Amino acid sequence: MSTRINDTTDLQAISRKRDLRRKTLPALAQAGPVSVWMILFVTIPMLYIIYISFMSRGVFGDVVYEFSLESYQTLLDATYFKVILKSLQVALFTTVLCLLLGYPFAYYIARKPPEKASRLIMLIMIPFWTNSLMRLNSWLLLFQTSGPINNFLQWAGITDAPITFVYTDGLVVLGMITNMLPFAVLPLYSSIEKLQKSLLEASSDLGATPRETFFRVTLPLTFPGIFSAVILVFIPSLGIYTVSDMLGGGKVLYIGNIIKNQFGSIRNWPLGAALSVLLLVITGALIFLYTRFSKLEDMEVV
Amino acid sequence: MKRILSGVLAGAMLLALCACGGDSSAPAETTAAGTDAPAETTPAEASTELNIYMWQQYISDELIANFEEENNCTVNLSYMSDNADAITKLTAGGGQEYDLIMTCDAYMESLIAGGYVEKLDLTQIPNSSNINEAYWTAKDYCVPYLMNYIYIVYNTETCPIDITCYNDLIDPALKGQISTIDGARNLFPIALIALGYDPNSTEESEIAEAYEWLVKFNENVVAYGAAEQNLTNGTASVALTYDGNTSWAMSEMGENNTLVVADPFDDAVQLGFDLYVIPTGAQHTDLAYKFLNYICDPEAMAKNLEEYPYSCPNDAAVAAAPESYRNDPARNFSYKENVFFQEDVGEALTIYNDYYQKLKVGQ
Repeated sequence: MSTRINDTTDLQAISRKRDLRRKTLPALAQAGPVSVWMILFVTIPMLYIIYISFMSRGVFGDVVYEFSLESYQTLLDATYFKVILKSLQVALFTTVLCLLLGYPFAYYIARKPPEKASRLIMLIMIPFWTNSLMRLNSWLLLFQTSGPINNFLQWAGITDAPITFVYTDGLVVLGMITNMLPFAVLPLYSSIEKLQKSLLEASSDLGATPRETFFRVTLPLTFPGIFSAVILVFIPSLGIYTVSDMLGGGKVLYIGNIIKNQFGSIRNWPLGAALSVLLLVITGALIFLYTRFSKLEDMEVV
Repeated sequence: MKRILSGVLAGAMLLALCACGGDSSAPAETTAAGTDAPAETTPAEASTELNIYMWQQYISDELIANFEEENNCTVNLSYMSDNADAITKLTAGGGQEYDLIMTCDAYMESLIAGGYVEKLDLTQIPNSSNINEAYWTAKDYCVPYLMNYIYIVYNTETCPIDITCYNDLIDPALKGQISTIDGARNLFPIALIALGYDPNSTEESEIAEAYEWLVKFNENVVAYGAAEQNLTNGTASVALTYDGNTSWAMSEMGENNTLVVADPFDDAVQLGFDLYVIPTGAQHTDLAYKFLNYICDPEAMAKNLEEYPYSCPNDAAVAAAPESYRNDPARNFSYKENVFFQEDVGEALTIYNDYYQKLKVGQ
């Protein structure tokens, strides 16, 4: 009797050891470095942000470590509501435009033979070899009052007086789209590429018009790519501040600029932290809603 | 295909990582130097390293190179992006990583009161006698470097009105025409003076009125910052900016310059000083003193002014500077005495910041 019990415990020990060697160690080796990285550079800073959002501010912009809800009370002010609404609008607008521009382009690339496709993908990435501030500055130079675009318009007789492009909402949106387009094209491409041609053929064989095929076969099947494109474009556009800072001339302010100002010139870190928390909550809520209303088992991020 | 894609993405991430690494390496170096130093620096031994924290694009590379050669040392320059950065370095710790920090006159009072800066031994800076006393606040604690008038410049060809006072800036005729400096403590004094109040007011009711004035001003603003570019490329016809930036804009326009400094001008203009302080606990004070003495040297400073044409409190250097600097139209205006200074407003700073925030958000 007793030996048998010993046997089973031995067996358990052995299988536990084997489990450790077979499952835990490889899992640790694979996920460990990333977990450490994420804890160090994402989780801890995020907890710190939440922590200081409940602190008070000192006169010279230092954080006074005393519990206070002042920052969150400030957020109730209607002006912040307006800014957040405006930022959401712009982010949504950017996302929709990126999808409208990105989808046909991704579709076009995906239908090309692999070698050509990889070259076309490279073309999308090439502008990203230069710093984004550099690219934004070049937009300013192109569109400024005495810049090439205005000169051309006047030369061609399209306008008499130069048009003010710089420091307008329109140019900011243009800058956003150029910055975000690759993040829409890449996931769209990877899901369109996987689409089996036979399905499309079957659809048309069964009498569907190309239009019907697109809306009832192609679009639903590439939905995972659309979903990741939305997430990858919408969330960064909500928080980005460099584009509106440079192309908006410090006059066009979105939530990202307000947060940046709190940590910079205005020096109210707790308010900046509270705004960041609010931004986290908004993006979290949006993702939650989205996962609720879409079948997430086939969600995929490249 | 997947492989190419992932390769491209991995490449992008790697690039991003390299960029981060590049940014962070400079402060890391200076930190290392700071911690190494206590072991080596005994008063008898001369330091071989000087760490300076200041504005970017504000001192001639040649001046730094000459100083390094003369003193057989390395100068590490780190740059701030906002005045507030320097204050954070000095007050929140980390100041002793640097031997010299650039700040401005408005903060000196509270920095001295808080004991964040070393008292200077001016006998070790003999060249400082060249500095005009009128431009030297908190004399025992800092050495002024360059100074800035914040005044109005406009393009005679495109600006629809003549500007002779701050209230002209809220004229509806200037809608979308003004390029202006930014910052609560730069903008509010202008409004306060226009309304006839103390530019350093601490009264909430006055600041609130100034806010209303700035809302009207904001209607006319096309952009905050980058005034010299916006003037030269025609985006703005009026600018509220520094004399150094104006000088650049005017020389950029060259022969066809139509920019003029608003003159005559009825209201007081802001004059600010950028100055060097030695943070409490600095490691290489011997070299810091040598550097302060070097920048007060008329010849060295005159060369620096050629490259960075700002106003300078060093009279001997101005006299030694080339013709082009002394006759610069950007500094040729009649009201150099009618100036005001930014003062410490204490607790009222939060009132300013709150209204500034409201100004920037509410559109």
